[in-house]
Amino acid sequence: MQPAASDHLSDVFAALADPTRRAILAQLTTGTRTVNELAEPFDVTLPAISRHLKVLERAGLIERSREAQYRPCTLRSAPLRDVDAWLDGYRRFYTESFDRLDDYLTHLRSHREQGQTDHE
Amino acid sequence: MSDQNVTTTEHAFILTRTFDAPRALVFEAYSSCEHLRRWWGPRSWPMHECTIDFRVGGVWHYCLRGPNPEDESWGRAVYDEIVEPERIVFTDSFSDADGRANTAMPTTRSTIDFAEEGGRTRLTLRADFATSEDLRAVIDMGMEAGITETMDRLEEHVTRPAASSA
Repeated sequence: MQPAASDHLSDVFAALADPTRRAILAQLTTGTRTVNELAEPFDVTLPAISRHLKVLERAGLIERSREAQYRPCTLRSAPLRDVDAWLDGYRRFYTESFDRLDDYLTHLRSHREQGQTDHE
Repeated sequence: MSDQNVTTTEHAFILTRTFDAPRALVFEAYSSCEHLRRWWGPRSWPMHECTIDFRVGGVWHYCLRGPNPEDESWGRAVYDEIVEPERIVFTDSFSDADGRANTAMPTTRSTIDFAEEGGRTRLTLRADFATSEDLRAVIDMGMEAGITETMDRLEEHVTRPAASSA
């Protein structure tokens, strides 16, 4: 596992784990939307949509304007980039681990060959 | 020296690397804390705590520690398949110090195949992220939105020299 500031990422992953919330984010990729607009494609109540929006807001995935009364939502892509960087981190994790394994195997081999020679 | 090749697909990556060591030894390096302590994790985040029950269904619980005192990352892996000296499959999760898996974070299922190649060993690691295609799609869209966001700000910046109008 890649060592990372996993607490914030947990919130982001938890937010992304729900299909309705992913669909809301997908809508927001084309621009700012009001809660009513976001609720339209779904067969759920406005309070339910509001709860989803709270989860997304807490994860930093959306921003809600304080200016207008209907508080339109805008996508914030930074946490998505963090998720992407986190996935990319696996590659670095393994590459560095395998560099170390390479050195360690060389050490083990010479150590064991040494041991065998000593016993002969 | 070893050579390495990395392929990333939709939600997995495959890493192939050849080690100048016999297969049994490379397999062995995966099988105990004594060995894993010497190589698992980045150099700046080595593995400190480790317990292993190396059998199918057994648990590997470990902690990597970074340069700062608060840098600690606990992991918990469960072995799904062990075929000595050919293959190891485990599912890896973030966890706490007591070994409780963090279910909010995605797990990774790692399949490691060890192939003998004239005294050398070709290791193939396949890591499948338990992140759905939907999730991947959102991440990709987010990337695009990020670019749009930047362009929007640029546009605002160039079309609104003074913050006078709303």
